[in-house]
Amino acid sequence: MAALRCRLPFARPSRWSAAALVLALVLLAPVLAVFAAASGDSEGLWGHLFETVLPRYVANTLVLMAGVGGLGLAFGVSTAWVVTRYDFFGRRLLEWMLVLPFAVPAYIVAYVYTDFLDYAGPVQSALRDAFGWRTSRDYWFPEIRSMGGAVLVMGAVLYPYVYMMARAAFKLTPHSLFEVAQVHDRSLFRRVGLPLARPAIAAGLALVLMETASDFGTVEYFSLETLTLGIVNVWLGMNSLPAAGQIASLTFLFVIAMLALEILSRRRRRYVDTGARVVSLPPVRAGRAASAACLVICLVPVTIGFLIPVGVLLRFAASGLGAPDYGEVFAISLNSVLVALAVAALVMTAAALTVAAAGDRTGRPFKALVGLASTGYAFPGPILAIGVVTFAGAVDRGLEGLVSGMAGLPFGGFLTGGIGLVLFACVVRFQAIGHGALASGRERLPPDVMEVGRTLGRGPAANLFRVTVPLLGTSFLAGGLLVFVDVMKELPMTLILRPFGFETLATHVYQLAKDERLEQAATPALFIVLAGAGPVILMNAALGRIGEGRIGTR
Amino acid sequence: MHPERDKGDGHVANAPVAPARGHRVRTGRLVRLGVLAALAVLAGTAGSAGAGEALNLYSHRQPFLIEPVLAAFTAETGVPVNVVYASKGLVQRLKAEHRNSPADVVLTVDIGRLSVYAEEALLTPVESATLADGIPAHLRDPAKHWFGLSKRARVIAVSRERVAQGEITRYEDLADPKWAGRLCTRPGSHVYNRALMASMIAAHGEAKAEAWARGLVANLARRPQGNDRAQVKAIHEGVCDMALINSYYFGKLAHSDIPEQRGWVENVGIVFPNQDDRGTHINISGGGVARYSSNKNTAVRFLEFLAGETAQSIYGAVNYEYPVNPAVTASPEVRSWGDFKEDSLPIARIAELSPAAQRVIDRTGW
Repeated sequence: MAALRCRLPFARPSRWSAAALVLALVLLAPVLAVFAAASGDSEGLWGHLFETVLPRYVANTLVLMAGVGGLGLAFGVSTAWVVTRYDFFGRRLLEWMLVLPFAVPAYIVAYVYTDFLDYAGPVQSALRDAFGWRTSRDYWFPEIRSMGGAVLVMGAVLYPYVYMMARAAFKLTPHSLFEVAQVHDRSLFRRVGLPLARPAIAAGLALVLMETASDFGTVEYFSLETLTLGIVNVWLGMNSLPAAGQIASLTFLFVIAMLALEILSRRRRRYVDTGARVVSLPPVRAGRAASAACLVICLVPVTIGFLIPVGVLLRFAASGLGAPDYGEVFAISLNSVLVALAVAALVMTAAALTVAAAGDRTGRPFKALVGLASTGYAFPGPILAIGVVTFAGAVDRGLEGLVSGMAGLPFGGFLTGGIGLVLFACVVRFQAIGHGALASGRERLPPDVMEVGRTLGRGPAANLFRVTVPLLGTSFLAGGLLVFVDVMKELPMTLILRPFGFETLATHVYQLAKDERLEQAATPALFIVLAGAGPVILMNAALGRIGEGRIGTR
Repeated sequence: MHPERDKGDGHVANAPVAPARGHRVRTGRLVRLGVLAALAVLAGTAGSAGAGEALNLYSHRQPFLIEPVLAAFTAETGVPVNVVYASKGLVQRLKAEHRNSPADVVLTVDIGRLSVYAEEALLTPVESATLADGIPAHLRDPAKHWFGLSKRARVIAVSRERVAQGEITRYEDLADPKWAGRLCTRPGSHVYNRALMASMIAAHGEAKAEAWARGLVANLARRPQGNDRAQVKAIHEGVCDMALINSYYFGKLAHSDIPEQRGWVENVGIVFPNQDDRGTHINISGGGVARYSSNKNTAVRFLEFLAGETAQSIYGAVNYEYPVNPAVTASPEVRSWGDFKEDSLPIARIAELSPAAQRVIDRTGW
C-alpha cells in the first residue's frame, strides 16, 4: 500500500503522457500514410524524374526559400528594431499595422499583383500613357509571374512571423544589457539586440521557410516548378502516387532541416532574467530625417503586403461588376469562422497535452515523437489531404468491421464524408503552431518556477496545470489566434476534403479567381482579410504585453 | 486566483482524491470536454451526406458550369443534386471512402483524369442503350466505365494582325523555327497540353513527338504560365502572336461580362489544325457511375440525361463546348467558328499515352 502511494505522483503524469502519446500518433498517422504511399512501386519513375525535372524542382525550391527567407528577414528584423528602438511619427499605428499582411493569404496577393502589374493593369497602363508606348514590345517590364514575383508576394505576407518574434525578443532584452553597450559605445543593434534576438528570429524564419516550402497556391498560379508543384504534377500527370509520395518525402528533408533550425535556436536561448519585470529598452525620440527613414522602413512592407492588395480588392469590389450575393457570402463566412474556431480550440487543447507530456523529464523519445507529429505543417496541403483521407478511410473500414461485422449494425462511414475530416486535417497541419506557441512560452518561464512546483512534490503534469498554464494565458491566446488566422486562409485541404455543398471563404474565392472573376472574388477575399485582421491585431497586443514585462503577472 | 482555487477545492471535497489535485481535476475535465466537443462535431457532421434520395456528385467541373444542367435534371426528375467540387484529390478520396462513399456520379473535364477512376476500379460499368446510341464509340470507354459528355477542340488562337490566314495549319507547324519567340502556352504539364502531347505520340511515335515538343519549347515567347485565357490576353497584349487554347475559351471571352475581356478576342482568330490529315485534337468532359453508389439507377439516369438533348444544348450555350451527341447541333456561337474535322483517335488511347506524354514534357521542359 505504501509502495503504491509512493508511485502515485508518477502514475498521474504517465496517464497524461499516454494520452499525449496516442494524440501524437493520431496526428502523425496522415504523415505516415504519405510515407506508406511513397513505399509503393513507382515503376522506375524516380530515375526519370531524377534525370529530368527533379534538379529543377529542388533548385527552384531552394532559390524560393532563400529569397523569401531573405526578404522576410530584411522586412521583419528591420521593422521590429525600428519600432522598438525609435519613437517616430506613426510608430504606434505602424507597430500593429506591420502584422496585418499576415491576414492576407499569399495566393490572393498573387492574384491581385498579377492583375495590378500585368499589361492591362493600372501600373503598366499609366506607364504607357505617360511615355506614349503602344505595345508590350516597346518597353521592358518585370514579369510578376516569376521567381522574383513569388519572392515578393510570399515575403510580403510571411515576414510578420519574423517581425513578431523579433520584436518580442527585442522587448524582452533587458535595458541593462543595452546600457552596457551604450557605455562602451558599441552598436546596440549589432552587439546586443541582434545576437540576443537571434534564436527568436531563427524560429520566425523557420516558420517562414516551412510555409514557403509547403506553399501550393502561389507557385501554381505563377507556374513556378517547385517541389510542391512537382509533387502534384507527378501525382496527377503520371498517375503515380508512390512517386509523388517520394518527392514529398524529399520535401520532408527540407522540413526536418527547418525544424532542427527552430529547435537548435530554442536550445541556444539560455539566458533568463530573474527580475519579475523586464525593463525594456525605452525608445529614443527620432529626429526629422531619422523619423522619415523609420517611416519608410515600416511603410514599405505594410504597403506591399497589405495596403496595395486590399486597395486593389476594394477597387474590384467597388467596380460594380459581379456584385456578390451578400447572404451567400455571410453564410460562407460563418462556415469559415466556425471551422477556424473549432480548429483553434482543438489545436490548443492538443498542444496543452503535448506540452504537458513533453515537460515530463523521462520523455526524450516522446519529445521526438511530438516534434514529428508537428511535421504535418510542412507537407504541401494536397499531399497531406491525401494522407488524411487515406488514414481516415482505413480507420473507417476498421470501425466498419467492428460495427457491422461484429455487432451487425449499419455503418455509414464515420470520418469520411463529413466536416470532421476538414477539422482533422487542419489540426494535423496547424498543430505545430499551437505546440510551438506554448512550448516557446513555457521556455520563457524561468526554470526555477518549475522547480518550485517540483519541490512541492508535484508531478510534471500537475506542475504544468498549476504553475505553467496560468502563466501561459498569453501564449494560449497568441497560439489560438495564429491557428485561427491560418485556418481562415487554408485552401487545398478544405477543397479536397469538404462535404457536399460546403464552402469556406477560401474555396469560394479560389473558384471565382480560377475563372478570372476577380471582381466577384474581391468581396469574399476581403472578408478573409477582415476576419483575420481582428485576431492578428489582438495577437499582436498579446505579444506586446509580453514585451511590457507583464509576463508572470498574467 | 483565489476564488478559482476555492471553486476547485469545492470539487475536490466531493472527490475521493488528495486535495492537492483540485486544479488537475478541473483542467482534466476541460480537456475531456474539449475531446467530447470534438467528437460531437465529428458525429454531428458525419454521414449527413448519405441521407435522402439526392444524387451525390464528385465533380472536377466548377459548380457554376454545371448548375444549369443540374437544375434542369432536378426540374425533370425531382431529384436534388449535391456537389463536391475539387480540381484534384477526389480520386484518392473516393478510394479511401471505399464502400462508405456517398458519391453516385463522378464528372471530370479531361480524359486522363476520367480514366484514372476506371483504372482504380472506382467506376461501375453501365449498360445503357441511350448512352451507347447517344455517344459515338470513340468517345466512350469500350469497357463502359466512362462516357464522354461534351467535346472541346485544342485549337491555335492567332493574331489576325500578325499571322496571315493559312500561314499556320498544323500542330506540327508550331515547332517550325520561323515562329521563334511568337508562341504562348500554359505549362506542358497541364492536362490539356498533356492530352495534346499524347495525341502527337499516337500520331508520330514518342521520338518524333519529343522532337516536336523541343521545337515548340524553343519557339515560346515566354516561360509557360497562366491559363488558356491568359494566352489569348498575351496575344492581345502583343507578347506573342499565337497560342494553344481550348475552343470554348474563345466563346467565354467573346461573351464575357467584363468588357476588357471581350476586347482580348477582337483581333484573334481560331485555327482548327490538321484539317487535311488526321483532324484537330479533341478532349472530352465526361463521367461515370461510382462503384459503391447506393443510387445506381438514378446515377445512370443522370448520365443519360447529360447525353440527351437538353443537357447537350446547355453545355454549348453556357460553356461553348461541342455536343458529343450527333443528333444535337452545336450552339450558334460555337457553329460560327466553322465546321472542322476532328481527330477520331479513340479517346481512351489519349489516356493510355498520358504518362508517356508527361515524361516527354518533363524531358523537354515544356
